[in-house]
Parts: sequence; C-alpha cells; structure tokens
Amino acid sequence: MILSLLIFLPLFGSLLVVLMPENQASQFRRIALVITLIEVLLSAVAYASFDKTLAGYQLLEQADWITLPLGNMGIASIRYLVGIDGMSLPLVILSAVVMLIGVISSWTTITTRTRAYFSLYLLLTGTIMGCFVALDFFLFFLFFEFMLLPMYFLIGLWGGPRREYASIKFFLYTLLGSLLILLVMIGLYLSVMDPVSTAVATGVVASPSAVSDELIRTIQAYLQNGQLNPSQIVHTFDMRHLADGGNYLPNAFLNPAAEPIVLGLPARMLAFWAVFIGFAIKLPIVPVHTWLPDAHVEAPTPVSVILAGVLLKIGGYGFLRIVWDFFPDGAAEYAQALGVLGTLSIVYGGLNALAQMDLKKMIAYSSVSHMGFVLLGVASLTAEGINGAIYQMVSHGILSAMLFLIAGVLYDRTYDRRIDSYRGLMQPMPQYTTLTAIAFFASLGLPGFSGFVGELFTLMGSFQSQWLPGWLTAVATTGILLAAAYFLWTFQRMFFGPAWIRPFDSPQDVTAVLADLTAREKLMLIPLGVMALVLGLFPNLIFNLTNATVAQWLMKFAVE
Amino acid sequence: MPLDASPLLSASVAALLTLPFAGFLVLLLTHRRIAGALAILLTSIGLAVSIVVAMNVAEQPMLIQTNWATLSGSSFGISFQVDALTALMLILVHFVALLVQLYSLSYLHDEPKLGRYFAYLQLFVGAMLGIVLAGNLLVLYAFWELVGLASYLLIGFYTDRPAAGQAAKKAFLMNRVGDIGFLIGIFLTYYYFNTLELISLTAPNSGEIPSTALGLCLFMGCVGKSAQFPLLTWLPDAMEGPTPVSALLHAATMVAAGIFLLARIHPLLSPDALVVITVVGTITTLWGGYSAVFQTDIKKVLAFSTVSQLGLMVAAMGTGNVSGAMFHLLTHAFFKAGLFLSAGAVIHAVHTQDMRHMGGLRKALPTTFIAYTVCAAALSGLPFFSGFLSKEAILGEAFHWSSAQNDGLSYLVPVLLLLSSGVTAFYMVRQWRLVFFGDYRNDVVPLSQAHEPDWLMRGPVLILAVLSVWFWFALNPLSAHSSWFFKLFPATEGQNFWWLAPVSIGLVLIGGWLGFRMREPHSQRSYVRLSVEYGFLDTMYHYVFINPIRKLATLLNHADQRVIDRAVNGAGISTVTLAYLASGLDRFVIDGFVNGLAWCISRLGRITRSVQNGLVQSYITAAVVGLLLILWWLL
Repeated sequence: MILSLLIFLPLFGSLLVVLMPENQASQFRRIALVITLIEVLLSAVAYASFDKTLAGYQLLEQADWITLPLGNMGIASIRYLVGIDGMSLPLVILSAVVMLIGVISSWTTITTRTRAYFSLYLLLTGTIMGCFVALDFFLFFLFFEFMLLPMYFLIGLWGGPRREYASIKFFLYTLLGSLLILLVMIGLYLSVMDPVSTAVATGVVASPSAVSDELIRTIQAYLQNGQLNPSQIVHTFDMRHLADGGNYLPNAFLNPAAEPIVLGLPARMLAFWAVFIGFAIKLPIVPVHTWLPDAHVEAPTPVSVILAGVLLKIGGYGFLRIVWDFFPDGAAEYAQALGVLGTLSIVYGGLNALAQMDLKKMIAYSSVSHMGFVLLGVASLTAEGINGAIYQMVSHGILSAMLFLIAGVLYDRTYDRRIDSYRGLMQPMPQYTTLTAIAFFASLGLPGFSGFVGELFTLMGSFQSQWLPGWLTAVATTGILLAAAYFLWTFQRMFFGPAWIRPFDSPQDVTAVLADLTAREKLMLIPLGVMALVLGLFPNLIFNLTNATVAQWLMKFAVE
Repeated sequence: MPLDASPLLSASVAALLTLPFAGFLVLLLTHRRIAGALAILLTSIGLAVSIVVAMNVAEQPMLIQTNWATLSGSSFGISFQVDALTALMLILVHFVALLVQLYSLSYLHDEPKLGRYFAYLQLFVGAMLGIVLAGNLLVLYAFWELVGLASYLLIGFYTDRPAAGQAAKKAFLMNRVGDIGFLIGIFLTYYYFNTLELISLTAPNSGEIPSTALGLCLFMGCVGKSAQFPLLTWLPDAMEGPTPVSALLHAATMVAAGIFLLARIHPLLSPDALVVITVVGTITTLWGGYSAVFQTDIKKVLAFSTVSQLGLMVAAMGTGNVSGAMFHLLTHAFFKAGLFLSAGAVIHAVHTQDMRHMGGLRKALPTTFIAYTVCAAALSGLPFFSGFLSKEAILGEAFHWSSAQNDGLSYLVPVLLLLSSGVTAFYMVRQWRLVFFGDYRNDVVPLSQAHEPDWLMRGPVLILAVLSVWFWFALNPLSAHSSWFFKLFPATEGQNFWWLAPVSIGLVLIGGWLGFRMREPHSQRSYVRLSVEYGFLDTMYHYVFINPIRKLATLLNHADQRVIDRAVNGAGISTVTLAYLASGLDRFVIDGFVNGLAWCISRLGRITRSVQNGLVQSYITAAVVGLLLILWWLL
C-alpha cells in the first residue's frame, strides 16, 4: 500500500489542483506542501518497515494489468509491480525530501499560472516515485516517459530567457535516450520468459504462489531444451526475471549464448550500449551532457533543485537496476571503457566548471563532475564502489539542491547570476555566507560532510577493482582538486573584499538590495546542511540500507 | 600488543576532542567580550587533560576504536591511538595555543569579530589534536583536511581584504595538491595491507615494504602541509592572517602535522622513498634559507626560516632519525612561536611589517628585544640554546647516515644541511640588525610613540624565550645525548663526531658576523630578486600550471559549446531541415503525383463522360467500331 500511495497520492493531488477553480491561487501551494509532506512521512514509513538485513525486493505489490495470448508469439504480460530494495529506498527518501524542499522554494518565487505549475509539480512527484519503485520494465518506462512532460513544461513555461531552447533540448535529448531504452526493452521482452507464469500457463502448478525455486529451475531447463510449447511461454517485463540469465529463450535475440552479430557487435553488447547511453544522458555522462547546463540555467530555482537533486539520480539508478543488472556480461566486458567515461566526466566537468562565469552553470558542471564518480563507482564492480555510488547519489542530491537554492537566493534579489557581478557578499549577507561556505566545503569533499564519503568510497572501490587500472583512479582523484579550485575560486571572487555588486538599473545601495536570508530560505538551507553533516558523520545510515542488496547484486560479477 | 585504553584515558580523549569542537560552535555565537576568556578556559582544561593523558601513557600504544562505515566485506573504523608521541604533541599544541590565545586577547582587542576569531582558533587546535590522536589513516586524513579548513578560515580572516581571500584559497589548494597524493597513498595502503589502522601498519616485523610509491604518495601529504619543495609558496602568503595565527601555524599546528605524519608512517617508507624524502628535505632547507636572506617583510623572513627548518626535519626523517626530527619540531615550536609573537609586538609598535622602516628599536622595546634575541639565537643554533641541541642531533645522525650509504654523493646532504645553519644565522642576524639596531627609519610612527605592548603580550613572549634555552632539554648545553627526550624516544645509536660542534658553531658565527656587517644590496639585483621571489616558484606555477589549466578550462568550455553543443544543435537543425525537405517533397512530389493522378483521372473521366453522352447513335457507332476492331484482331 505504501508504495502505491507514494505514487498515486501526488497524481491525485495533481488532478485535484487542475480541477480547482483558478481563483483559489493560494490553495494550490498549500495542497502541494501537504502532499509532499505526506510523501516524506510515507517514505519514513517505508524506511521503518524495510528489513535492512534482506537483499531482495520488499513491500511488493502486484496486480495483473495486461495479459494477452498471442498464439505462437507466446503470452504477453504486463503487470503493475512495485517494490523497493536497498538501492531504491535511499533514493525514494531523497526524492521525497527534495520534492518537499522544492515546494518551499516555489512558495513565493512562482507567481504566474500557479495552478498549472503545482499541478505539473505534483505530476512530476508521482512519476519520479513511480520510477524508483516500479519493478516492471514497462511500468518503469511509462513513468520514465511521463516524467518528461511536466519537466518540459516546468522549464519551458517558468524558465529564464532561453527557456524554449533549453526545454526543447532537454526534451529531445531525453527522448533520444528513451528511444534507445524502448528498443532494448522490446528486445528484452521478446527474449525473456516469466518462469512463474509460464509454469501456471503450462499447467504444472495451479497458482503462482505454489511455484518454488526448484520448479523455476526446472522450467528454465525445459526452456533451454526447447521442451516448452512456444504458445505457452509467458513473455514478461518483470525486472526480476529480466535479470536472470536462465530466463532467456534459446536463440532469442538477446540471449547471451546465441549472440547474433549486428553492426559488427554481438546484439547483446549493442543493446548494452544502447540502454547505457539512454541512462547516461540522464546522469549525465560526457559527451551526452550538454542539455544539463542549459536546462539548469534556464529552469526556475525549484526546478533546478529537482533536476539536480532527483532527476539525475534516475540515470544512476537505471545503471544499477537495468543496465548492469540485465547485461552483466556487457558491464564486465566494457568495465574499463566505462571507468574511463566516468573519469572523463569527473575531469571534463571539473575543468568546465572552472571556466564558468555564471554561478548556476558552474554548479551544473560541478554536477557533471560529481556524477562521474557514480559511474566510476558502478564500473568498479566492488562493494566499496557500488555502495559509494549510491551514497554519492544521495549526497549529491542534498548538496546540489543546496547549491541551486543558494544560487536562487542571489537571483531572487538581483536577477543576476554572473559570478563577477558580486564582491564582498560577506558583509551584507553573513548568514548566507556561512551556509554557502558549508555547501561549498561539503561539495568539495571536506571530511565530516557527505560529499567526502561518496567520493572516498567510489575512488577506493575503483582502486580496489580488478576491472579498472590503478592510474584511472589517480586521474579521477584530481577531480577533488578541481572541485576545491572552482568552489574556492568562486567563493573568493564573490565573498571576499569590500562589498560591491554590478549596478544594473540605477546606482544601488548594496545592503538594501542584498538583504540576508529570510526565514523561508533558512528553512530550506539549514535542514539540507544538517543532513549533509549527519550523513557525513554517520555514513552507516545509508550503508546499512544498501549493504545486503549490493552484496547480492555483486554475486553476478564474482570472478570464479 | 596494543592495549585497549582505560576508561580514564578514553574519557580524556573524548574530552580533548569534544572541547575544541564544541568550543568552536559555542564561540561562534559568543559575544566578543567573553569569547577570549572562554577560549582560554577551554584550552587550559585541554592542557590539564593532556597532562593527565601524558602521565597515564603506557609503554604500548593504547587504542580506542569504534565502527564508522560498514560495507559488505570490509569495515572502516574510527580509531584513536595514544602513545608517548601523542602525549608530547598534545601538550605542545595546547601549550602554544594557550600562549597564542593570551597574546591574541591584547593583540586583537579592537577586532569586532573576536568571537569568530577564537572559534576558528579552537577549530584549528581541535583539528590538530585529531591528527595527533588519530589511530588510522582515514581519521588522520579527515582531521588533516579540517586543519586545511581552519587554516583557510584564519588566513582569510580579514575578509574585506581581497589578498586574504587569495592567500586562503592558495593555501587550501596547494594543500589539496599534496592531499591527492595522500589520498592515493591511503588507497595504496588499503590495497596492500587491507587495513588502515596505524597500529597494524607500523607493527615491527610486519614484513617487506611492498611499494615505494605508497610511501611517496603518503609523503606528498607532508609536502603540502609542511610546505616542502615544491609546494612551499602558500606559507609566505599565509601571512595575510592575523600575526598570532602565524605563530600557531608555524609552531604547533598545521606545518607540524606533516612532520608528525612522517613520524607515524615511518615504517611504511621504503629505502628508496627515504632517499627521495632526504633529498626533498635538503632542497627545501636550502630553498627556504636562500629565500629568507633578502626579504624585507619581518614576517616573511620568519616564514621562510620555517620552510628551511621544516626541510631540516624532513631530511632528518629521511635519514631515519625520527626522534631527532621530532626533537627539533619541539624546540622549534617554542622559539619560532616566540619569534612570531615578538614580531607581532614590533608590528604592534611601529604599524608596519617592512623592516626597511624599522631600526634601533632595542631601546624602545627592551623586553621584546631580549626575547627576540634569545629566540633568534636558538633558531641560529648557538650553544646554550635549544636549537643547537636539536640541530646537532640531526646533523650528527645525517653524517652517520651518509657514511653508511657507501656513496660519496650522499655526503652532500649533511654538508649542505650544515652550511644552511650558517645561512640561518646570516638572515636572522640581518633581521635582528634591521629591526633593533641602526637608525630608526619610520616616518609614520615617531620613535617616541613606539612602545612595548602590555604584559598580556609580553608574558607569552618571555615564556617562549625562557623555553628556548638549553636547560629544559638537556643538562649538557653542547650535547643532547643525555636529554630526557631521547630517553623517551630512543634514537639509533650513532657515532659522535667530535668536530661537528666546533664546525657548526664556527659556521654560525661566520654567518652571523656577515649578517651583521653586510650592506643591503639594491633590490633589483638578480640574486636579490631570486631570493625575494623565492626562486620564482610562484611565477613558474603561474606559467606552467595555473595559466595552462585555465586556458584548458576555457578551451574545453568552448569545445563544449562549439563542438558538442553545435553537433547537437546541428543534429537538431538538420532534422528540421530534413523535415522541411520532406514536407516539400510531400507537397510537390508526392502531393504533385497524387494531384497529377487526380487530374489525369478527372481528365479521363471527362473524356469518358463526353463519350457517355446519352445518344443511342454514338453508342451504336462505338459498338460497331469495337466489333470491327475485334474482328480485325481475330482474323
């Protein structure tokens, strides 16, 4: 029930807002606030009812949705199937928190078309939750696609001057990724059977609940020996079955053993790269990252917060849940190339951040750099690397949300985001300075804050990895030097020296324009800072959730 | 076997770490008037607790361990380790910090952000204590970075000065360069030993040292933090911070951390790594020494003398003389803190740091003059002062080391170190002369107004001066062999070189005499600029690293927009163009075809319609013609 509520409560709220009369403007944000608050509570309930010692999916809910006999093509089955494990739970909690912060951030900054805004916002909330809990690939894809729609409008309608370009770019990039994922999804569907439903369909057992592990292996053996009637094979999108190599039909397109060659590559490897690129766009990984700086710069502050805080994580989650889990052979085969891509993102993103004159763009490129650590950690195929990657996603979700809110604070006051438009902000805005310093130092990996832990363990994992060469980690480590360089350089330019801002309309009194933080701004920034500190001091808060799942997940990559 | 710490010791360690960090938070919110008193109270308690710890130190290190991060298959703990070295450092850090805080009360009494200042000092002290207490490399690294943060905050304390921000950033980034090596060293350590606990890593007879790279990577951390060549240029810039901070930074915290690290990880250093460390230390000694020679800023001379002395300690570590290096760290902490605080008193009196605008101050500032003279004599290595003892301990061992190397070239190391002590005497006496002798050369503050500070500032300076004489360290003023220090921290038994003491005293006297007699050369002379610009190291960094990296960043940013983004936009534009082409094709070709077809059909229809005109005659004509055609074809 909890997980379905997580998805459908905001969807219901979205509908509610749409149906309300336009003149109830002040109610929309209240509804959004209440619903996101309940989402946080629901995620807390999910946390409380989650057994950390178990590796498999928990809180499962399933219902048959579409079952269609297709003659010799077998039986098509799409199900409503949701559940969480140690990989998705931290991200669910993160999403709930960030969405709540996003509402607070929208409170006064969104003044036009509030009904449409909050309706889309709640739609986005529901689809994001759906993405993290869906265990049927089709269902996942549905949410994944549906997320695009509110995002496109949120950037395109409430964004900055170049919002249309940015939103179209975001849309097309992500659509390309979706297309690649869709192709692979269909390929997988055609190649994989659901052993449980097949057992029922062939009449071996009466109900799915009677299927034992042993029976599943028997059915799989029947399948591999061609003893199953093709019309009785149930094709599935169930991620649990897609991840099991025994369920692949012999001679199917994506069967690891069959491996037809397409364009000079085994079909499976091609599919691996296709679905990898699909999620790499989302993360984003260099060179498919250029939608991110534009989208961030043009999006209104709360949307930037969601984009960096939550949406990027779907890319990393997709790596773990889909790309690596369904194609372990591809992940192992190309581990080194993937590690190089992660390192490239770290260094390239860092250098680009160094060159930015726009505060939001600098933060956007720092996101590219920090997300590179996620890919590096995942590619390492070690317990440290994978746990570290999940941790890094949560940590970056908190810190990037904080950073974009910080950029938003200034933008709300002066409508100017250029770094060189400010000097000596420390004098007029001491509280703002303190929180910015916390966010900057936490992001550049100061021990005690969460950023350090994520980077430490992803790097350590990549160093321990037998798949990656040692020099790669050494190169990636320079990313933390670059992070210190771009954050501290920015801090020095904006906060040190006598107070000054670039005059825009008429000569301005600096202190009048630059009022220090309001209570609402502190309400957003302080909890995020505290979370970064608490997670940095007690990393087991996350590792306890992820450990069991990651250990089981890694069994596929154990070297005999 | 290491022991688990007793409850008393555990509580002490917890208190030692809690006091400064809690103090940091509390002091941030404390009113400036009571902030200083509160900070001093906290540090005094810390000092008392440190003494308790020192009295309870056992032969074996004692451990406090708790779990921090558990990952499937491996777990990383937080652990603290207390041994004699820890206890020594605990007392040293607290003691110097206490004196610096007392001094700051008076020196910064007009400072509006005094609460913040004392808060940062507490953070600085706390981070240093963490390094000293750390029981594994991860904890050490964490506090190591916190020292970086505290130094950033203190160097950048005068936030309205752009140069302060610049210097703070530079210090943090240069330290980060070293820290990257340190971090990779930690990864290597974990890779080879599967543990980061110092107690297991440094256990005697733990076998072969697996890698030279490991030691060198860890050493990089020391290169950054202890301002070794080539990462030494942040230290002179760090003068942007308040002067008492410099005293703390140069004596007991920050730069001492690197030396302490080497003492902790010494068993992990392979012979090849030790050679590199010795060479780096020797280069640093000479580089720092020469850079100090022609400086005109009173604090910069002292800063480069710190660089030089740190080089000496590192070189001692390289020659395997851990206890000698730590002994010099101890003696150096007192006289260098004394020198900085005296310099602060001078600056306080004449409102300038430029020694060209000082002179003849020995009468106006008698107490400071005496304290300064004692500390400078200790730094120069005159007998009857502490510096002589610790330098002899290092140099003697260095000669012993090179005689064991069976390599003539290795004698270069002790000879150069010996010569550098002459250079030290030269620039210290030059400074002494410029500040306290000759004519007063300041037009802004008349000599009559230059006066001694109050006793809150004079007291700590005098205490440090008193602690710079030989008596506290060894009864024999000419040899440290009988010192209590070497009973606590046994050194390897080296031979005595009877000629060493006379030669080094002779060099010191010659250097000092030259320093007193020299005439100031023109500031544009190339050898003067080479010294003042510390070997043009910063200029080199500017052209070799900073500019190229910034250019590369700009270039990549252009590439991002011009290449990748243009490709994306190009793909978009070409798709749209294709769409227009397709629509044109649609309109003109396909639609044209369809329209043409329609037109043809309608024409055909019109023709056939014209045939179907309803006249029976024309039907019959058509039928007959058709019949005839069929017949013609059949026949």
